[in-house]
Amino acid sequence: MTPLLSFLNVSKRYPDGGREIAVLDRVSLQVEAGSSVGIRGARRSGKSTLLRLAAGIALPDSGSVCFAGRDIARMAGSERGRLLRGEIAFMSAADWRATPGESVVDHVATSLGSEGLTMREARRRAMRVLDRVEIGAACAEESTTSLSLDERARVMLARALAREPRLLILDEPVLLPDLSERDSFNALLRAAASERDIALLMASEEMVALQGVAVMMSLTDGELVSTEPLGVVVPLPGRRRAGAERSGQ
Amino acid sequence: MASVSPEKTRWMRGPSTPLRGALLGLLLERPGHGGDLANRLAARLGETWRVDTNDVYRLLEQLEKTGLAVSRDEPKRNNHRRTHLVYYPTEEASGALTLWMETLLPREPVRLGLQAKLSVAREEDAHRLLAALRAYERECLMLAQLVSPTDGRGRSWTALCLDCTRDAVYAQLEVEITWASRTRQRINEFLERSQ
Repeated sequence: MTPLLSFLNVSKRYPDGGREIAVLDRVSLQVEAGSSVGIRGARRSGKSTLLRLAAGIALPDSGSVCFAGRDIARMAGSERGRLLRGEIAFMSAADWRATPGESVVDHVATSLGSEGLTMREARRRAMRVLDRVEIGAACAEESTTSLSLDERARVMLARALAREPRLLILDEPVLLPDLSERDSFNALLRAAASERDIALLMASEEMVALQGVAVMMSLTDGELVSTEPLGVVVPLPGRRRAGAERSGQ
Repeated sequence: MASVSPEKTRWMRGPSTPLRGALLGLLLERPGHGGDLANRLAARLGETWRVDTNDVYRLLEQLEKTGLAVSRDEPKRNNHRRTHLVYYPTEEASGALTLWMETLLPREPVRLGLQAKLSVAREEDAHRLLAALRAYERECLMLAQLVSPTDGRGRSWTALCLDCTRDAVYAQLEVEITWASRTRQRINEFLERSQ
């Protein structure tokens, strides 16, 4: 069966002064439909780059990233854009943008602009999904600027779920200082994804944020180590500098 | 690792294997008497290991029995009328150390075993260490997967204790993974510089 998302020997480099740094070095992985993969890594380990490649926001220098069997790099920019507004949802706590005066429900409803829905239909769907993430009707009519961190996380999740994606990508899913709120959000995320058969690809510095995932991976120096040794991930020795001679294992 | 005869791995059995392995590595660096090796072992492994000199003598005897070390009675440097046993590695010692570097360690105490290997690793062992560290990281990730996730609804004292216990496991594994991945990173950087 074709995996929902697959990386095959994916490398990505960025310039750093006069040299190049290999952020990802021949990474291979697969995410099956409805499955969940957690990637744990320190800052600057390449997590966000990997997630951006998975979402088609960035393209690999070499290797291929395929969604439902199709190479994302071979898609036109407009098609990649549609993918990211439809079958793939990307959520990062750092990307929260509140518009002054915009209500929570409108914030979610406007994200459905490409779905061909009327505003009334979009608001109805937004209310349903806000209810699922335990944002009540009263809060839904409040301004997005008045939300707590926990509420923001839930609204971001609602916005992602509203488009009924097949793959939800989360960069640092929970940055909540209150630990019981964090646990509660984690449980909600897993349950909502499971109900809708959404595959999860999450990355965090903290292992606790990845609890309950089916496959756990660790990313260091552009190299993945996975609990699934073969088939899902092919760990390869990492090299930070591009062009350095590679040694086999 | 290719299959190896049980005879060659017999010396790797038992809880003292990390110390025996580290002693073998030190012997290969330079022969020495028991006290000298105990001091070098303590310096190399650090205070947390609490190396007991009597244990070192016992482990050296074990290495000798398994054919990886030989001892000779030699005069002391400062007092030629008295002698002490000086231990030397045998021809098999280098191969045995290489085998130890390649051997997967039992789950407990994995990190101590890795730390012991690191303390005496030769440059040519770099890729064996990388493989061992990667295997250890994978082991920690698998343990993390075994922890049941919180349902996020616990408000009772029992639920709080369960969540805190879960947190303790994650925190411990995270430290282990951080250490293993940082060590891999440093070895990789060293290998790059030396290319």
